[in-house]
Amino acid sequence: MKAVKSSINAKARLATVRDRIPSVRAQKMLALQFRRNLLVIWDKKWFVFAMLVGWGMMQLPLPEGLSHHGMVVLAMSVMATILFVTEPVPLPTVALLIIVGQVVLLGLDSSVVAKSLMKDSVLFIMGSLMLAVAVVKQKLDKRLAFLIVKLTGTKTSRIAFGISLFSGILASFIGEHTVAAMMLPVGITLITLTSNDQKKVRNLAAVLLFSISYGCSVAGIGTPSGGARNAIMIGYWQEFFVDPTNPATFVYIIDYLRWMEYAYPIFLIQLPFVTMILLFTFKPEYNDLSRAVVKLRAQVQEEGPMKAADFVAIAIFFLTLLGWIFMSAGLGMGTIAVMGAAAFLVAGLVKWEDINSGVNWGVVLLYAAAISLGVEMKDTGAAAWVAESFLSLLKPLGADHGIGLWAAVSVLTTGVTNTMSNGAAVAVLGPIVLNLAQAAGESPIVLGFITSVSSAFAYLTVVGTPACTIVYASGYLKTTDFLIVGWKMAVMSTIMMLVAAWLYWPLIGV
Amino acid sequence: MSEKSERRVDERFRILVCIDGSEESYRGLRYAAKLGGGVDADIVLCYVRPYDQGLRSGGLQIDVARENMLKWGLELPGLKYLKKGRDMLVDLGILSLDWAEKHFHTDVEGTSLGDNKIDYVSPEDKKIVLKLKVSSNIATGILDQWVLGEYDLIILGASERWRSRKSKSFWDPAVAEKVAINAPCSVIVTRGLTEGNGHLICTDGSEISLEMVRRDAYLASRCNCPISILSVAHHETALAEAEAAVEQAAELLKEMDIEVEEKMVKVGNPVEQIIETGPDYSLVVVADSGKGAIERFFIGSTAFKVMEQSYNSVMIVR
Repeated sequence: MKAVKSSINAKARLATVRDRIPSVRAQKMLALQFRRNLLVIWDKKWFVFAMLVGWGMMQLPLPEGLSHHGMVVLAMSVMATILFVTEPVPLPTVALLIIVGQVVLLGLDSSVVAKSLMKDSVLFIMGSLMLAVAVVKQKLDKRLAFLIVKLTGTKTSRIAFGISLFSGILASFIGEHTVAAMMLPVGITLITLTSNDQKKVRNLAAVLLFSISYGCSVAGIGTPSGGARNAIMIGYWQEFFVDPTNPATFVYIIDYLRWMEYAYPIFLIQLPFVTMILLFTFKPEYNDLSRAVVKLRAQVQEEGPMKAADFVAIAIFFLTLLGWIFMSAGLGMGTIAVMGAAAFLVAGLVKWEDINSGVNWGVVLLYAAAISLGVEMKDTGAAAWVAESFLSLLKPLGADHGIGLWAAVSVLTTGVTNTMSNGAAVAVLGPIVLNLAQAAGESPIVLGFITSVSSAFAYLTVVGTPACTIVYASGYLKTTDFLIVGWKMAVMSTIMMLVAAWLYWPLIGV
Repeated sequence: MSEKSERRVDERFRILVCIDGSEESYRGLRYAAKLGGGVDADIVLCYVRPYDQGLRSGGLQIDVARENMLKWGLELPGLKYLKKGRDMLVDLGILSLDWAEKHFHTDVEGTSLGDNKIDYVSPEDKKIVLKLKVSSNIATGILDQWVLGEYDLIILGASERWRSRKSKSFWDPAVAEKVAINAPCSVIVTRGLTEGNGHLICTDGSEISLEMVRRDAYLASRCNCPISILSVAHHETALAEAEAAVEQAAELLKEMDIEVEEKMVKVGNPVEQIIETGPDYSLVVVADSGKGAIERFFIGSTAFKVMEQSYNSVMIVR
């Protein structure tokens, strides 16, 4: 009896859950629309906040040692930083606003501002991103994976180290995002071929995927082409210190090989520690991956022998590399990067549509605007003022010279880079740090290197380094994983860098 | 909307379950399966993927990495989670793989992968849908999905992965809260959702509360859950009012032929009392008081405070 009653009442009951009257439902839709409009405005609260802060700063009385233009540039930098961190508007908008701000607030000529946007470092960033897309599209990753596994054997710890080593060496030349994108399917394939049940391979997945991402991240410091931030720092050294008429300043022209001399060893020492930290933090469930390796081998053999196109791609890649090492002093790294990209396009190995959709042009614009703002910071003296203020803060701590200062700069950069992208961190902090070096009587080269290297230490969050962001897109890692292993990595990297700066750099003459 | 789809919306009980791959979301799915087991209920599983900013990946679009994964024959995480949810429904007997299956794809500007939808339609016209959605952020995506389908219930977990960036979550409320506040229908925010422990309805005697009792009774009847009633008085003097509220609710339920498991009246801070009593039950049910954002900021709303601070799952009924 009860069952019959409930089925008759089902429809009537459903009516009680919804609003019976159509006008009430229409009212609710309007209310939803209104709420969502409010939500949109509320989401932009940080934009309004940033504008207010900037305006407020420009109304303040000028502190000693800071000109009016310097204050304007400082206000613009603070506004840009707030917008970078909170992202209330799409990020390339910040770049556009910086351009507008320079023309309107600083009174610079529009063409002068436009010229300051495109430098060799920006060409380099653009060219290396295009190369990155071209290389990933060549599908050489399967062969690379096979090569790695052949050389390292089948034990998990050795595979993890092998992956880190190879990803690292490759990433130090073509950029960490490229190699992360290439190696990600390799890692996932090894995981899924070991077991389809995600719970059984949790730790193994973490070890393999983090080997890729951290191998790539620590490698980003190795060569100038490893990351946009290195190119930005080289650009700053050139802008700020090199005087074409004074040969004594040519020591500030750091070319490709010289950078490698400084930074490559730091990258190499970190690699064994990366594997050790990963194996210690995540104990993988499987110590031997021979099953997965055998299946991977079978998959690779299906590909067949290497085609002519593959050889051409590898050839162009090596030629670009040689160009960077030997010809960048004369031609500029940017030109060579662009040449490489052009070679790929001419050889028909990649289509323009692929490059167009694979490169985020907004990012290039962003770096260009950030560098342009950085140069303005130096020209108006704002960077010098901030540097002196920061130095006076450090004096009571005794951290205004030597290793104390290095540590302070490193901590500051690491903190900033964990909230913003690496390149933006260097673009914003570069001028300040270089002026800091001058004010404290330290070598700008040492401090510049410390900033560039520390800006890679954004290990704590998913979105800290490009390689981590790409690896997270696989869906196998949780955000807490990044936190528990990230702090160990950050500490290890900082120690390695400070030790190298203290013991090794004086040996090669700084 | 066409007449046919309007009729469909009118006649069917539609549940939207938000999946993000976490255990919590699958628990929510199990609960949805309990509520949506009948022939007249549709269940939609939705995974929202936010747009890639590009800056975070250093200028290389993450889609390049995703396309590389697809070329290797690997499945993207979103679809993998949705399929896991589908397999769970098959195991529970709600879905059968020999139902009619249809794939849809919509292009979305700004990303090469777009929206994907798989419809499973039973011979009795019951629909189970897997939807992979791309949106600028997760909360907006879920609310957009509501507009497309006008669901009666949204289930999502107060889970960790929804906090897209650790620093931002400090300033912005988490996705679950955003959706719970802005959705026009009832929302279940799950935290360690258990089954079979019944609903705890929290009433304060107002007209809105009574409406909520009526609606929750419908939901509880779908899953045969026992219902308990709680009312909290601020002070000893208000005790009589609280007891009257409980009696009123019990009367209403009796009219609908539903037994009340327990009736409780407590004294003290409403939010604290509700949160303390909550963990003994599967779901704490509160009514949305309909206060606007500014009122909420200054005066505060019991319902939302309970939702934020509760130790277990909360349902906000609208």
